[in-house]
Amino acid sequence: MLFYIIKRMLLIIPTFLAISLIVFAIVNFAPGNPGGRQIGSEGGQQANTGEQRESYRIFKEQFNLDKPVILNFRYNLTKDEVVDVLAKVLNPVIEIDGKEEKEYGLGEQIESQEYLENLGRYAVPSLMEILNTHPEVEYRALASQRLTINARQRLQGEFRKDLTKAQRETNKKISDETASFKGQYFLALSPEDAEDAESKTEEEVKEFWNPWYEQNKTDWEYSTGDIFSITFTDTRFAKYWYNLSQLNFGVSHRDKRPVLETVLSKLKYSLTLAVTSVFLAYLISLPLGIWSAVNHNSKADRAVTVVLFMLYSLPSFFVGVVLLNLLTVEYRIFPTAGFESLNASEMTTLEYIKDVMWHVFLPICCMTYASLAALSRYAKTGLLDIINADFIRTARAKGLPESVVIIKHAARNGMIPILTLIATLLPVLIGGSIVIEQIFGIPGMGRYGFEAILTRDYNVVMAILLISSLLTLIGMLISDILYAIVDPRITFD
Amino acid sequence: MSESNKKIVQESDDLTYGDIVWGQFKKNNLAMFALYGLSILIFIAVFCPILASDRPFIWVENGQTSYPWFTSLFDRNYYENSVDIFFNLAMVLSIPLTIIWVVVARVIRTKHSEKRAYRKVLYRFNIGLFAAFIALFLGISTQKYEEPYKQYYEEYTQAKEDNQKDISAVFTPIPYGYRKTGFKSLDGISGEHWLGVDQSTRDVAVRMLYGTRIALSIGIIAVSIYVTIGVIIGSTAGFFGGWTDILIVRFIEIFMSIPSLFVILALLAFVEKPSIFHIMAVIGCLRWTGVARLTRGEFLRLRNLDFVSSAIALGFSTRRIIFQHVLPNALGPVLVNATFGVAAAILTESTLSFLGLGDVSVPSWGQTLNEGYSTGAWHLILAPGFAIFFTVSLLNLVGEGFRDALDPKMRK
Repeated sequence: MLFYIIKRMLLIIPTFLAISLIVFAIVNFAPGNPGGRQIGSEGGQQANTGEQRESYRIFKEQFNLDKPVILNFRYNLTKDEVVDVLAKVLNPVIEIDGKEEKEYGLGEQIESQEYLENLGRYAVPSLMEILNTHPEVEYRALASQRLTINARQRLQGEFRKDLTKAQRETNKKISDETASFKGQYFLALSPEDAEDAESKTEEEVKEFWNPWYEQNKTDWEYSTGDIFSITFTDTRFAKYWYNLSQLNFGVSHRDKRPVLETVLSKLKYSLTLAVTSVFLAYLISLPLGIWSAVNHNSKADRAVTVVLFMLYSLPSFFVGVVLLNLLTVEYRIFPTAGFESLNASEMTTLEYIKDVMWHVFLPICCMTYASLAALSRYAKTGLLDIINADFIRTARAKGLPESVVIIKHAARNGMIPILTLIATLLPVLIGGSIVIEQIFGIPGMGRYGFEAILTRDYNVVMAILLISSLLTLIGMLISDILYAIVDPRITFD
Repeated sequence: MSESNKKIVQESDDLTYGDIVWGQFKKNNLAMFALYGLSILIFIAVFCPILASDRPFIWVENGQTSYPWFTSLFDRNYYENSVDIFFNLAMVLSIPLTIIWVVVARVIRTKHSEKRAYRKVLYRFNIGLFAAFIALFLGISTQKYEEPYKQYYEEYTQAKEDNQKDISAVFTPIPYGYRKTGFKSLDGISGEHWLGVDQSTRDVAVRMLYGTRIALSIGIIAVSIYVTIGVIIGSTAGFFGGWTDILIVRFIEIFMSIPSLFVILALLAFVEKPSIFHIMAVIGCLRWTGVARLTRGEFLRLRNLDFVSSAIALGFSTRRIIFQHVLPNALGPVLVNATFGVAAAILTESTLSFLGLGDVSVPSWGQTLNEGYSTGAWHLILAPGFAIFFTVSLLNLVGEGFRDALDPKMRK
């Protein structure tokens, strides 16, 4: 038994790893780039002002969106590739059939701009080569402009607060270096404009970059080990696993707070709802199922069956909206939204419990009734199967009172299938809580997740998918263990 | 053995599994009632343009007669959605197809006296007919036909009031389409608007009618997708067993523990502008686990039965054994699951539209309910709510009827 439980628990680990793989795939390979989508809110693509671009770049780095998904081959980036990208960014006007048109579409131009940004320091050697050797001045100018951004080093532990002293010092050096890059570019202007311009001349710029590159050249001389580690570890996939192993789900881009912290604080609300409604559903449905199995085919049983069937088919969001509209808007018996009153912190414990119960009554009703209907139907059929078995006849023949026969002999065996239903109920409740929490304004995990989906809050979506899957796995584990406890016939060897 | 006895023996031998199940199903009054209800629903879905359309059947203006209703049926400009085109085609062809079918069935019946042979030929004919229908539908839906836009009903009432122009017309009972706007927002139930007007100034009754099409097509297509996936995966696992089975079962377990509604929401949010076909595809790709488990279980059960062993001994190919011998026997429970699945898919779609992630261009019930939620107007809550409720409970009742009919313990 103990061995079985341990084995069952260990099985959760590979399952969870596989789930996180699927979640990664869903978020990264789904149509449309989840990171790219929030450009609207972060002001990325449309915004070409330096500040907005910069904040968008930081955002991408923060979420590792600048990295390739699975394998990174950027170490062998050639000059020609970079020239191609630069050409798309410059997007020169050319003549097509006598008409003057831009060579590439706007979409392609923006995409290449993004890509160039994502290349980061990997593009530096090629950019240097272009700066020094490219025949066209536009390319040399653009290369110098890009260098001021691409040559920057990333700060160590940029988005963390707990840094060691050594890390702080390197960071200081890096920011000094970054500051020295400022203004080290020139513009491709005609000679007369260039005289008025405040920017540097080409020669000045080259005088800055060439010695700098000579000094730091070793950074781009990759050994086999470096190549190996870049290919496999400087990717979104590797960073994802790394962060996951640290239980680091990153920060939400909406409120900039750590996701895990927020989700855990929201879990309180969601679990209150889910656990209470599962508990209530079992509490009501088991006796109800037993009662209707005993009174099988009586008029009362038929009436109950019909009512339960109707409850089963009623969509919970419909019931939710009706209850909300009737009892809070029309009659004002219950509060319209929320988990607790605003002055909850001033209440005594008893008052607080009362207040919360008043608030969650309707949502819990909505979450309970559907599972109640399903459960009691299963309970009834489970018991009906057993009630005709030989051992029940034997128990009756022994002269045991009917109540003992039903409760001790029949129910214990007939209820086994019901226990396994916990496993299927949990994901439904977690999924269903999205709708219920949305309707009743409960600030729980479902609602948080739904809002994250709408605003494409990448980290939150991943965290919630993972955490709710983990909860489901735990639910399955519990039901398996219960199954083994209730049914002594089950041995696991 | 006397002549009559022989006949009886032959007839009872002739009962297929389907006959037995159907016989059991017919004895269940509630399920039969639900099946009739469902037929009415399908009937409404197919024939709703006869009940409600912007276009009049007959339009006579200055002595010139035109038939805008008929020309609008396959107009991609008027019915933007291919679901509507599909149902319109079904409506137009329903009567001729039924006649053809009845005649051909009679002809086949006279040619084949044996029941099984007759069934086999009829089955092939049905598939052929269906394929022809789909081909015709695909052909029509690629056509782009645009009729000039004209507000027939407004012109008609205007002309009646002014007595100026000589216009006469025959309209459908409800003279608006589901996209027609411009009524008084949130107007209650009246003779003109049987179920009131929604927030976006559209007639609710018409949207409920056309919503049947959306609900049924989402349910059926999404379920067909996942039944196909589930049967393929489940039968592979169940038939081959061993490592294949272990791997697939593991995979199913993993898939089952990811909350599918959340994944569906996430995937749809990533799509630029989700259409109902996206919704169908996403539901279809995520809900196959139940079917796969069921099929696997059935295959495991059937694999060791004598008829499969003899098929293997006869040297039939694996494909033939799976598809011709085992699968037909495993399909019963899958069918029950699929019926419940249609109900579940309709619920999922309504949930999505209710949350505002559905296709906004189609008259989905959940969308109207969402407007009811945000405005608190009772007619916007109750009309779609009961539409969903009735559809789902009819489907659940039919599913239950099938389940009981398949269960040998419940046999009457």
